[in-house]
Amino acid sequence: MRWLIRRVLKKGKNSISYEEDTHYGEMLTIGRASDQAIFLPDIRAALNHARVTSLGSGQYRVESLIIAGIRVNGEITYAITVGAGAVIEIGATRLTLIAAPQDHDAAVEVAAIDKGEQAFIIALRKKPTSLSQTWIGKRWPSWVGFVTVLAFGLLLPITSHFVPVVDTLLSHSPLPSTAAWETGELDAAHRHFGDDCKACHQNAFLMVRDTACTSCHANTKAHADPALFNISELGDARCGTCHKDHNGERGMVSTDQRLCSDCHADLTARTEGASQIVDISDFGDAHPQFHVNLPGWSADGEFTPKSLPWTAGLRENSGLKFNHLAHLKADGLNTPDGRKTLSCASCHTPEPGGAAMKPIAFESMCRECHQLGFDSLAPEREVPHADVAAVVYTLDEYYARRGLEGGYADARAPIVVQQRRRPGSPPLSRQEQVEALAWARDRAREAARTLFTGKACVTCHSVAPPGPANADWKIAPVRVSGIWYVEAHFTHARHETMACADCHGDAETSKASNDLLIPGIDNCRQCHGGATAQGKVASTCIACHDYHRSPVLTLDTGAKK
Amino acid sequence: MHESILTHARSRYLWVSLALCAISLALYVWHDPGMTPNGGTWLGYTLGTVAAALIVWLMLFGIRKRSYSTTLGSTRGWLSAHIYLGTALILIALLHSGFQFGWNLHTFALVLMLAVIFSGFFGVYAYLRYPTLMTRNRENATRDAMLDEIGEIDQNALALADGIAPEIHGVVLRSIENTKLGGGVWTQLRARDGSDIAIARIRAALQQRSNTQIGAKPVALQAGQTIVAMVDFLAGHADDKQSEAMRKLIDMLSRKRALATRVARDIQYQAVMEIWLYLHVPLSVTLLAALIGHIVSVFFYW
Repeated sequence: MRWLIRRVLKKGKNSISYEEDTHYGEMLTIGRASDQAIFLPDIRAALNHARVTSLGSGQYRVESLIIAGIRVNGEITYAITVGAGAVIEIGATRLTLIAAPQDHDAAVEVAAIDKGEQAFIIALRKKPTSLSQTWIGKRWPSWVGFVTVLAFGLLLPITSHFVPVVDTLLSHSPLPSTAAWETGELDAAHRHFGDDCKACHQNAFLMVRDTACTSCHANTKAHADPALFNISELGDARCGTCHKDHNGERGMVSTDQRLCSDCHADLTARTEGASQIVDISDFGDAHPQFHVNLPGWSADGEFTPKSLPWTAGLRENSGLKFNHLAHLKADGLNTPDGRKTLSCASCHTPEPGGAAMKPIAFESMCRECHQLGFDSLAPEREVPHADVAAVVYTLDEYYARRGLEGGYADARAPIVVQQRRRPGSPPLSRQEQVEALAWARDRAREAARTLFTGKACVTCHSVAPPGPANADWKIAPVRVSGIWYVEAHFTHARHETMACADCHGDAETSKASNDLLIPGIDNCRQCHGGATAQGKVASTCIACHDYHRSPVLTLDTGAKK
Repeated sequence: MHESILTHARSRYLWVSLALCAISLALYVWHDPGMTPNGGTWLGYTLGTVAAALIVWLMLFGIRKRSYSTTLGSTRGWLSAHIYLGTALILIALLHSGFQFGWNLHTFALVLMLAVIFSGFFGVYAYLRYPTLMTRNRENATRDAMLDEIGEIDQNALALADGIAPEIHGVVLRSIENTKLGGGVWTQLRARDGSDIAIARIRAALQQRSNTQIGAKPVALQAGQTIVAMVDFLAGHADDKQSEAMRKLIDMLSRKRALATRVARDIQYQAVMEIWLYLHVPLSVTLLAALIGHIVSVFFYW
């Protein structure tokens, strides 16, 4: 086999000459030993470093004969089959296997690598020795992070705000929409439309408008009329000033005392005398005595309660006569059903809502003992607990019937009334009828007088007899306030852990019905204090009072009405 | 006493940061917003403004440390302030949030901020610990000097090995090829020099050989082929002169190995001192985007 060995010789700067040699042999041996086909006087070459076999048709087999291997085409290898053009590097020598010329079977070009190139190759093969030479960087991850976060955190949600289609698409994808901006959990009541940010946040970069609130909260009462009261806070306050959402389930209603006290601490001065309300800033130490609503009637009999400051000796006038002490006897009362001991709950039962007590009802609470019978001959008959006319009417009807029927066993009655009619008896004569009805009218009047003045009505009611002013019996109106403190919302339900006597202790010893058994502020202050009270229930204004309380103004119609 | 970045100017910025934290905490405790503490109260806005300003200022450090001509404080002073005020930022940002967290952009920004700060903590640790280790490891040489020495040893070892036997020459050649200092990120951080790690073990092998019977088979070692080859050679047909040269060669290679290890460790120390910045810097720029998103979105839906 004929090998062409072409040596490249550099002469001067840009001049190159070739020296060609022919080597006869099956393979081309390379090494530092003198018997090698290609002799490399380089300490980096082994004596018998490698051999190259021509496989024909331009293919060569390169094999390393030492444990260190050989660098072919830049890679260390032990044996490899390569085509023409492959480059073998040993020390400072570069061997290029080339296509065999016509008169040879194989060919190799041998060239020296000059020092500059060697250094370059070494530098090229050097592994990075600092992180700045590796693939990681600071600039490109910074850009990627910056752009990604800005795109997904800001631009995409903004787009979804302005383009509803994008919003719909995003809501069906895991990509962030404006929901990713939610600063905190919504109030429980707002969650049913919570996915739609624009329900409240209608305009970008503008605080939530009141109209967004009143579109649902249409009938919410205003607080006071800013046109009447010269307080800037009243006119400028937005719903959102107090109601800040995204603060969790119960974050929406602020119970902060300052919401009220900021204005009410010096309201008179603030409104330049327009407000008549006493300055209030704290329930514990800056709240006036309660004003209690006492029952009262106008001249024409209309119920017009009077609001008076609570005092210890204050009397009320409900029109009723009632002795609590007599009814609450510890050893009980004689009743038709035997002995019974009454308690508060025997008569005072809470309304379904639990706030106030049900009105006292004669039929269910009094009648068991206080029966309205009027005739000892018919003890089961009673007049209704109704107005005077109905009572009188019942009596008239009853005695008219008894008179005409006869058989009324009262010796004082006329014979015709006493006489029992038998079947087949002749009808009463005109004379007899007049006599019987005259008796009936008198008897009914007597029974009425007995009822009204004797044993029944007058027990509890003030009764005036018929006279020049009134043609009939007159019962004074009876009514308790029902709600004694109208400006506050007290509820018995929240005070169930207390005993009745804890607040209404006077009831146990009260003999007169005009004893005011409703406690004043001192009673409340035993347990309740202001916002910063120590050792007491911290009760801010909102605990008892409403902010949205105007009787005429609502928020949606505008406080400017 | 040497003044470190932490004790710069009598720890001036430590006290500044502590004061900032104390004021913020006192305000937070004193402030009663009348609802859950949150970023939307006046104190929330105030703390948020302070925190945002701090973040921007902390990021300016990246510019400041490159502007060599500025006279606005020393870079070390800036770094000291950067560290302490950056740490104070944790508390200020948490107080700003009112400890309200959620799956949202805002908490994401907070998490990014914490990631930046904690990566910075590692940087402080690295800056305090590694320069000393680095100096000690180099033993007054430079990395280039060590690399030059390795190159010299390679040449001498080849010449020496050539005088012993062609196989040994081949083994040394391979060892040279295998010595690759540096590499990818992971390689740099792990301090693997890639040189024939078994060279040191050859002493043990030789020791063992002299302890066991002459002619006994060499102990099967788990080392690389270099040892096997060398020990085989010694066990088989080495004469005294060759043995002497072998020992010399082994000493030479051991020295090289020690040098290579030291260079690898030098690269490792440098890499550890730098690696955190590859998190710290991109995360802080990402944080800037999240911060912009946070501020804009909060006022977008005011």
